[in-house]
Amino acid sequence: MPDQKDKNIEQESKEGLTISRRDFLKDAGLVVGVPTLGTITATELAAAQTKKAVPAEKEAVPAVTKRSSDMTAIELTVNGGKYRHFVEPHWSLRQVIRDQIGYTSPKDWCGGQGACGSCTVIMNGRPILSCMTLACECNGAVIETAEGIAKTKHPIIQAYIDNNAFQCGYCTPGFVCTAKALLDKNKNPTEAEIRDALGGNLCRCGTYQRHPLAVQEAAKNLKTGA
Amino acid sequence: MKTWKKFAHVNAKTIDEASSILRAGKAAIISGGTDLLGTMRFEILPDYPEVLVNIKTIPGLDSIKEEGGMLRIGALVRLEDIAKSDLIRTRYTALAEGAHRTATPHIREMGTIAGNICQFNRCWYFRNPDNRFFCIRKGGKQCFAMAGDNRYHSIFGAKNMCLAVNPSDTAPALVALNAKIKTNKRLIEAEQFWDMKVPSSTVMAADEIITEIQIPTPAAGVKSAFIKFAIRKSIDFPIVNCAAMVGGGSARICLNAVYNTPYRSVPAEESIKGKPINEANADAAGAAAVAAAKTLPGERNKWKIPIAKTMVKRAILACA
Repeated sequence: MPDQKDKNIEQESKEGLTISRRDFLKDAGLVVGVPTLGTITATELAAAQTKKAVPAEKEAVPAVTKRSSDMTAIELTVNGGKYRHFVEPHWSLRQVIRDQIGYTSPKDWCGGQGACGSCTVIMNGRPILSCMTLACECNGAVIETAEGIAKTKHPIIQAYIDNNAFQCGYCTPGFVCTAKALLDKNKNPTEAEIRDALGGNLCRCGTYQRHPLAVQEAAKNLKTGA
Repeated sequence: MKTWKKFAHVNAKTIDEASSILRAGKAAIISGGTDLLGTMRFEILPDYPEVLVNIKTIPGLDSIKEEGGMLRIGALVRLEDIAKSDLIRTRYTALAEGAHRTATPHIREMGTIAGNICQFNRCWYFRNPDNRFFCIRKGGKQCFAMAGDNRYHSIFGAKNMCLAVNPSDTAPALVALNAKIKTNKRLIEAEQFWDMKVPSSTVMAADEIITEIQIPTPAAGVKSAFIKFAIRKSIDFPIVNCAAMVGGGSARICLNAVYNTPYRSVPAEESIKGKPINEANADAAGAAAVAAAKTLPGERNKWKIPIAKTMVKRAILACA
């Protein structure tokens, strides 16, 4: 699935040929944010920058107090792919990863108050909440989502499946990202450490008992290379 | 999901630049953003900032070092880094434990120590979305918790008529460890740092920014500890928490989530000072800490008093 979607994204950015329901919605959304496209070419970027530079300041204000909500260009590395986007200051990272780049695993559940963990992504090695992160502050960040973890065939994915560590699956990408970030730092976590690390992820199906089993199995498989 | 209303965003290069933007008004500092962005998304406050000033782009504010007889923690140090630091865990235990018990792992990876001590107070009237309760803390005329449901509110009375509690887990640790908070303008004793202002929860001026937190190295053999009571182990704000540093003939004990600001309990300190740490003495100190506590009308927050007493007792026993 992730591979197929990657292909869709690539194709779309090249020619816009594949129109799935998701792509259609994404394109429809893009009509609103005009200069923001899946991939921005150098000419478009230059054009947009010149356009931004044209309107003169109406009143003379010192540079430091200039208050514009103009779009800024950011570069992100998401799941190994490089993306360049124009973002508005009030856009969340989650919004950009989902709506602009197309990886839909960071979910919205608690409404953006940092209470559920289902929007977790790994940014520069830290598991963070993408709904409480401003996209414009992420320039140069290296981000990994659940799709990227699956693409690298990380054993955590199979361990989650084998241990039935989910029911409806809505919260699972958040759990997987958090667990992977834990395994990156701690090759051999104890059950207490796993429960502590996953303490910020909620699961309304109540699969909590299964997560330590899955993470410990993944840790074992990481070591043996299975 | 509620989206943010538009605002401008500036990546500050220096503290002076950030301060100058704040001075122009309608601006807010963003570092971790975990408290600020929540209040903005739910439009809790009547005023929405026009501009956010990102101070994560200012170099040199993210180091932990011990020098000159004190621990110096940069304003931008993440809570998780404090919780995981071996240096802080062994010699400044209360702070490491306070940072570790804050919120969730994700929020600790994002949130900074300076942001944690500057967070807004916790009160379900104050925090209600869309500024539904224009309370005294926002510049209104009344405290809705006084007549309303105040089961999580202050047990030591109101400060400037506000009953909301300070929910920080690191703040009592800093008070117990006798820390100083360095801003771009002055050095403030941790104990003097908090205040009830509209809408800020600290004594800092509008253009003041924390740059560093300084903690004197405790004398050899003096231990500190942090204990927290919350409904759930993770995520939850404290119902009551307590940090203590006891030993060598001195004691510093600070409760939080019991008053508008972190509540240093001098009676408890006097009670345990110079005495051996044991069950009976710790219990007496706990009783001394809550001797001045009083319930609010309706007695809904009465349950917090025995919890506060027990937190003080356990924090002292953990210093043994």
